Amino acid sequence: MNVISFLKDRIMLYVLHLVCMMALGGFLLATGYHRDACLLIWICWLLILLAWTVYEYRKRKQYFSRMEAVLAQIDQRWLLGELMPFSERLEDRLYREMIRRSNGAVIERIHAAEETRDAYREYIESWVHEIKAPITSVALMCENHRSEVTRNISAENSKIENYVDMALYYARSDEVYKDYLIQETDLGAVAAEVVGRSKYYFIQNAVQVEIDCKDAVCTDRKWIAFILNQILQNSLKYRRETGAWIRIYTERICIEKRTRGVRLVIEDNGIGIRAEELPRIFDKNFTGTNGRSHERSTGMGLYLCGKLCAKLGIGIRAESEEHAGTKVMLKFPVSMYLLPEMN
Amino acid sequence: MNMHIVIVEDEAAIRQELKLLLENALYKVTALGEFQDTAAAALAAEPDLILLDIRLPGESGFDVCTKIRAVSDVPVIFLTSQTDSADELNGMLRGGDDYVTKPFYPPVLLARITAVLKRTKRAAGQEKEPDRLAYRGVELDVARGSIRCQNRQAELTKNEFKILYYLFQNTGRIIPRIELIEYLWDNQVFIDDNTLSVNMTRIRAKLEQLGVHDLVETKRGMGYRL
Repeated sequence: MNVISFLKDRIMLYVLHLVCMMALGGFLLATGYHRDACLLIWICWLLILLAWTVYEYRKRKQYFSRMEAVLAQIDQRWLLGELMPFSERLEDRLYREMIRRSNGAVIERIHAAEETRDAYREYIESWVHEIKAPITSVALMCENHRSEVTRNISAENSKIENYVDMALYYARSDEVYKDYLIQETDLGAVAAEVVGRSKYYFIQNAVQVEIDCKDAVCTDRKWIAFILNQILQNSLKYRRETGAWIRIYTERICIEKRTRGVRLVIEDNGIGIRAEELPRIFDKNFTGTNGRSHERSTGMGLYLCGKLCAKLGIGIRAESEEHAGTKVMLKFPVSMYLLPEMN
Repeated sequence: MNMHIVIVEDEAAIRQELKLLLENALYKVTALGEFQDTAAAALAAEPDLILLDIRLPGESGFDVCTKIRAVSDVPVIFLTSQTDSADELNGMLRGGDDYVTKPFYPPVLLARITAVLKRTKRAAGQEKEPDRLAYRGVELDVARGSIRCQNRQAELTKNEFKILYYLFQNTGRIIPRIELIEYLWDNQVFIDDNTLSVNMTRIRAKLEQLGVHDLVETKRGMGYRL
């Protein structure tokens, strides 16, 4: 609100005043009053009008800046109706009442949407738990009756498991803080378990794996297993036809001869990622050329990795050369508390 | 005597297959099919270890564990599809010895069972691994990872040792390549078919050096036999 827009808003009022001044002037001159008297009345009139305008302008200005301040302070802006400053003007009070009613409806909607979302998420979580029972039975049946067919079933079963996991972790990814247990984790053991879980899938595609992780880090075992699994699934999907291998190893990050962290590297000799697509691989729903030309990609796996890494304080980065291979690096910070031990 | 494991699991399919898996791993297995007074029923079987599902009809596995702990310190491994850290913590606080989430990877479950049994000392005397395996005058030294014939000796790499170890344990039978590869993957040697052939060639060369010929037979299209 500035002066000009304020005056413009009241233009009709000023026109009315002007008309009245003219009419009064005409009347007074016609009834024989002196011109100077008329002029005096006009000046007084204008002064009073000016004073009133200034007062009114300042008052309105104050009212609206208070409202702006309220808006700036609260993070749930739809609550404005409840927090609007009091004003004795009827219009303001009417507007306030209307805004309150409208906001009330918005708040109801928001609650309803939140409830639906929570119920849906709970359902997904319980569904995931339910579906794991049959997946387990199938895995056990295949293990107990090994044959060509069950090996293939096992490989497919591990894919199902992976997709189910993705659904669960997607549902949970916003609330990592509710569900983690940070403990010293042997990355080699986690890697071996993750690789073992997709054993049949790896063997079927003749992919070799080398694990060489000497350093332990403090992190949540379950989440890191999920992240590692997603990266490995990608390496598997986008492998080269013959002689494919994946190497998983750790290295220490040293700055000025002091260990500042541990880096977990997952390196493969697969088909790689195009340079122009590399910066986007952690984006949601990004599938890229590989995702379309090879096995279908959901665009979710690496997105979840990026998101979870951010929540766990792990730096994730990828390097790749097309037709040569890809390197995904996870950087674990080491707490200052543990540093003296490592050096 | 074989270790006795009690399975408390309400999914019939999992119960049955789990029983089979553990029996194949040479455990004596009792599977509970009814869940009234589960703790007492499990203990009545005098098990060396209990595999306990958390979601049971009636009372939860946590409560069952508390009841078991009140009278016995038999090892308990929780087996569950709940993946919450809070549940895991709860399981530990109730006195569980380990916590395995479904879907588990069978060799991992077996390894954890062995680890818990070892830790709780109950496995003392149970299937102690021999220090050396012998076949047709060739000795495989398990502790040192080497192979010996008469007075000559050759060192083996980790991969070569694991391959020979499996062959020595399954003498006289044709072992399909895929079975051998799967065994290796279960033992953290993640190699493919070609590398297996390369390792086999190296093993043969080492055996030749020791003066042993044709110890490992290749059955074309089928596998290997010792």
